[in-house]
Amino acid sequence: MIAKTITRFLIGILFFTEIQSLIAQDKNESYRIETIPMPEGLTSETGAVEFLPDGRLVACFTRGEVMTYEPSTKKWKLFAEGLHDPLGILVVSNSELLIIQRPELTRVKDTDGDGTADLYEKVTDDFGISGNYHEFNYGPVKDNNGNLFIALNSSSGAGNIRPIVRGEINPLGREQGSKGQMFSNVPYRGWVMKLSPDGVLKPFASGFRSPNGIGFDLDGNLFATDNQGDWIGTSALHHVQEGKFYGHPGSLVWQKGWNKGNPFLLPLSVLDSMRTRGAVLFPHGIMANSPTQPLCDRTEGKFGPFSGQLLVGEMNKERIVRVMLERVGGELQGACLPFFDGNGLRKGNNRLVFGPDGSLWIGQNSHGWLGDQGIQRIAFTGKQPADIYSMNLTEKGFDLTFTQALDASTATDIVNYKFRNYYYQYHSKYGSDQMDINTIPVTKIEISDDHKKISLTLSSLKPGYVYELSLGNIKTSDGDDLANKIICYTLNKLKAGTF
Amino acid sequence: MKQLFANQIADTVTTVKINVLVGLQFDQVRFHVKPGEKVKLIFSNSDDMSHNLLITKPGSRLEIVNEALQLGEKGPSMDYIPRSASVLWSIPVVNPNQTKTLNFIAPQQAGVYPYVCTLPGHGFIMFGAMYVNSDGKIPELKNDLNIPPNRRLDNNSAIINQHNEHKVNEGNKPTAIKPLHPYKPVSPYLYRIFIEGASPAAIAVSLPGNLSYCWDASTCKLRFAWTGGFLDNSELWKGKGDVLAKVVGTLFFSDKTEFPLSIGNQDSIQVVDYKGYSLINRYPEFHYTLNGINVYELIMPNNDGTGLIRKFRIPDGNKIVWFNTNPADGVSYISSAGKWKNGKLKLVPKQAIDFSITMSRKEGGLL
Repeated sequence: MIAKTITRFLIGILFFTEIQSLIAQDKNESYRIETIPMPEGLTSETGAVEFLPDGRLVACFTRGEVMTYEPSTKKWKLFAEGLHDPLGILVVSNSELLIIQRPELTRVKDTDGDGTADLYEKVTDDFGISGNYHEFNYGPVKDNNGNLFIALNSSSGAGNIRPIVRGEINPLGREQGSKGQMFSNVPYRGWVMKLSPDGVLKPFASGFRSPNGIGFDLDGNLFATDNQGDWIGTSALHHVQEGKFYGHPGSLVWQKGWNKGNPFLLPLSVLDSMRTRGAVLFPHGIMANSPTQPLCDRTEGKFGPFSGQLLVGEMNKERIVRVMLERVGGELQGACLPFFDGNGLRKGNNRLVFGPDGSLWIGQNSHGWLGDQGIQRIAFTGKQPADIYSMNLTEKGFDLTFTQALDASTATDIVNYKFRNYYYQYHSKYGSDQMDINTIPVTKIEISDDHKKISLTLSSLKPGYVYELSLGNIKTSDGDDLANKIICYTLNKLKAGTF
Repeated sequence: MKQLFANQIADTVTTVKINVLVGLQFDQVRFHVKPGEKVKLIFSNSDDMSHNLLITKPGSRLEIVNEALQLGEKGPSMDYIPRSASVLWSIPVVNPNQTKTLNFIAPQQAGVYPYVCTLPGHGFIMFGAMYVNSDGKIPELKNDLNIPPNRRLDNNSAIINQHNEHKVNEGNKPTAIKPLHPYKPVSPYLYRIFIEGASPAAIAVSLPGNLSYCWDASTCKLRFAWTGGFLDNSELWKGKGDVLAKVVGTLFFSDKTEFPLSIGNQDSIQVVDYKGYSLINRYPEFHYTLNGINVYELIMPNNDGTGLIRKFRIPDGNKIVWFNTNPADGVSYISSAGKWKNGKLKLVPKQAIDFSITMSRKEGGLL
């Protein structure tokens, strides 16, 4: 019966995807999408996708299967089974993987060379699990010194903890009285953890609600996304740094030497002063509602012009988001815009990986929330997209750099640049409205000699606000339309010398 | 079959309560009111996502859903409610654990008035139908094209069966069984899974001969064993996983010791550390340390299929080992070596390197 229900549900989704894509990006000629055939009988809620050194894709799925896919023959093969909600793979070799599952980080290895795993060795389980359904674990990702990082979800206030848990229980990690807010009753829920090569797992950074996706950029900066909800006004990309707190209070009880009691009861101003804001906010309902893995484009051009930038999956829309960062006042901040919309892309874009040929593979998942299932692949066609390459803060506004030269008359027309700014409130409530929405006039436009850079002067700039720019009908010098008309810059810090 | 007819109450206001189910569904996907009737619609959101609820003119649902999507960056500040004459009434965004109420007078014009959540992506699957007519007629559920396709079944309580031989069909109704995996699981096989009576780090193993057991990776011990089927994971795998796997069959063993093994000093505090498992002919051999000493345990069906044989290896120990039992645990024991005394087996270090314990369920001894 459930099978039928799911099938019908999916048919419904597939049917309506057609309609929805009409309003998404127009036909994308720079990137084409392909749907990977999945093995019959697999419920392909995809927990992770990675590539093996020999060029095979490896993927894991909600019901515990780990399978490999040979792109040249389109053949799937079972590698391992029985894992508990695996949501991340780090490839060690063709026969050895590190996989995060609910209870632990596990080394899954084929030791006898028969092509299937026979060793499931614990790498670390030095964190608590209460049995709460929301205690998903993410990662691992590895830094240049061999440290591994994993991220542990907070527990859901819509659920409870089981009579038997693993780890010490601290009741202070949950709000008192009401139900609803995420919590941290067992160690390190809501933390990003660091596993050093000597096998010791240490708490690294706190305050995460649902960090479904961690990754590094080219410079070795660690990032994690978090998902809109209680204490998270809108979803964010965090630059994860040791010892910092990113906003969701429950996890604070596991901070070394914590002596401030129940963190949910602290004055809001205290929590707010402790927290580090998102490097990039994804405005809810506009950019992303449930962002997932940040993946750095390391393809050096094989995937188009955005090398070094981050791509972030989105669960709730047929979308991949693109993120560009810059350092302002010593901290990373930046902008996000849609990278790929519609055009056959499904929802549930949970995990991303670049294949050896520089194409982007996307594992999709729903897991009871909004999303789809399966795996798709996006390849660069070689036709340069007409798009914003970067958005940089200046002393007086923003510089926009485009991938192509622009038509000067439309690109310097002031009606084609509409800025709004707003902020998201930090509070215990679920999500935040856009607060203090203002229209910010553009007072001056300059175009560079090569027509690729537009410098905009704004009437004012205010830190703590998202600057959302809607572009009008700007053409390239070849007369093409831009791929995207919206970009959102998170202005945490002003440039020195502003105004 | 669940079908809601709005309850008439004394002051002639009809109250309709709508909640949210997992997987973007209203719990009530249709209700009936009479033309001109006063209606109080109470919308409660027990989901972990936000939702709104719009009632539209007949046939206007998709148009409104697409208009809501086109609000783009304006959507959030407008509660995803497009300005359209086709929207008759609306409840703005209701956050998790919030309730909002809408009072309206049902249209005089009989018809099917859709209600829908217009948050991005939701509206294509999260909708229902308000039937307005004076005779109370609504189509049979399975033929109702005004509700989501997956809700046209006459029984929304879905069942998958874990075990292939488990009976599903009652009567002549054909039931399509979707396979659980892209292969047919062959015993022995296991799941790391949430199961009652063990920590969240449990391992459930299906053995040949309809035997199953649960080994707990946080306490490093065999918790319980059962005979019959294996597990029913249908509820667990349906949504977000906020349920436990169900044991299919009958329990015949349940560990009641503090810990089944003691090494060295019988009364010393047992500190265990789980290390993992290797598959040997698909049977997991668990590895853990007990007070720092390596212990391996492999569990198979016993020779006559009445219980289990537990093969222990303690290769690097040079201490005496005790195997502890409890008379109320449901089984009788035979060991390959050592001496029993008062339900405790004593093994000298040499015997403890490799020994087995056969556990057979007692006559009529199902727990």
